[in-house]
Amino acid sequence: MSTITISNLRKLYGGVPAVDGFSLEIPEATVFGLLGPNGAGKTTTFKCMLDLARPSSGSILYDGKPLAPETFERIAYVPERSVLYEWMTVDEHVEMTRRAFTSFDPARAYELLAQFNVDPHKRARALSKGMKTAVMVALAFARNVNIMILDEPTGGLDPVNQRHVLSLMINEAAKGNTVIFSSHQIGQVERAAERIAVMDRGRLILEGLVDDLKADRKIVEGIFPDVSFTLDGIANDARVARTDRTERIVRLLVTAGADEIAAHLSAAGAVGVRVLDLNLEDIFLYAVSPATATADVVAKESST
Amino acid sequence: MPAVLTVDPRSGVPIYLQIIEQIRRSVALGVLQAGEQLPTVKQLAIDLTVNPNTVARAYRELERDRVIETSPGRGSFVRPDGSAEAPKVGAEIGRGALDVALREAKSVGLTRNEVRDLFEAGLERWFPTEAA
Repeated sequence: MSTITISNLRKLYGGVPAVDGFSLEIPEATVFGLLGPNGAGKTTTFKCMLDLARPSSGSILYDGKPLAPETFERIAYVPERSVLYEWMTVDEHVEMTRRAFTSFDPARAYELLAQFNVDPHKRARALSKGMKTAVMVALAFARNVNIMILDEPTGGLDPVNQRHVLSLMINEAAKGNTVIFSSHQIGQVERAAERIAVMDRGRLILEGLVDDLKADRKIVEGIFPDVSFTLDGIANDARVARTDRTERIVRLLVTAGADEIAAHLSAAGAVGVRVLDLNLEDIFLYAVSPATATADVVAKESST
Repeated sequence: MPAVLTVDPRSGVPIYLQIIEQIRRSVALGVLQAGEQLPTVKQLAIDLTVNPNTVARAYRELERDRVIETSPGRGSFVRPDGSAEAPKVGAEIGRGALDVALREAKSVGLTRNEVRDLFEAGLERWFPTEAA
């Protein structure tokens, strides 16, 4: 119904790549999370998906076809920054959206606005950042579309309203629609997204099912009786993505086979061998700033 | 089904495994009884605020492990012989917990005999032998 295929996408701004050779397949009927530090290229990717920015090269296909007007009608987009007209009331935005999109359901929009506690008589300029986000989200989810592209759809919202947005996204996926969203709130992505992609400096650095990434990626830690230990072939194992060695302690970031690698460490003479779980935040930090992460994970583990 | 399930998405344990573990435990404890209907995938996804495909994955594995069965159009149910499975599920939960404890004990360098002594002491505390 709406599989989205991004192939070798590049977008240069003044010769500088914002997106630098990015390929990704987004399956239908799910919630897909796009993660990355500021400036990673998430918003540019979204804009290219919507033809709001023209790719310098590469392609984006919807069910194998380039974005056509009828496909565009089936996509709702919530941009990161408010696109509401400051001088217009929320009521007027509902009316404007009704005129623009035939499948828009104004009654549903008002229902959602009430859930978010937005007063529809207010002008946009009188709304907080969070309330503006809520208005854009309400308008988007009342459009009855098949694809939702949401750039930071919980920006400025309180925890109760953030949860409302997540529930709306899950509801769309349950109906068979495709939701793509970006968020710096990794906990939300972890909860709602089935699959994620991590971007950094315009490139794709990690992609997969959240549950599989968690099942596979572990820290294996071992303590050796003295400082002069050798790891034999363990550090060269293809599944060991990174090795941190400090005096008697070694910590390995593994991408699979944690139990087996733990057994190798024991066989090499390590005592106190532990396998530590990683949550999505840990996995994200390793992917984008590999230098800092192990100590944090271990510190967190010991503090709980 | 009573609202017994909760998930902790921030944990390093995959969400679908958390769901599987809790349903198995509920069956083992009789909180979910043989033949009892489970919420639909969509309903449970909405209740827990997690992705429906994640819930569907948990249900598929539970079907494969013969804990639940799904009939198209009717929904998912605890298998009629589900309660017969209960002792087995209980044993699996216990074995898993013991494995974790034994791995910890091994990792801090305890010997086999030390572990045995600790285990006997723990057993005496939790399962006291009846006075003869």
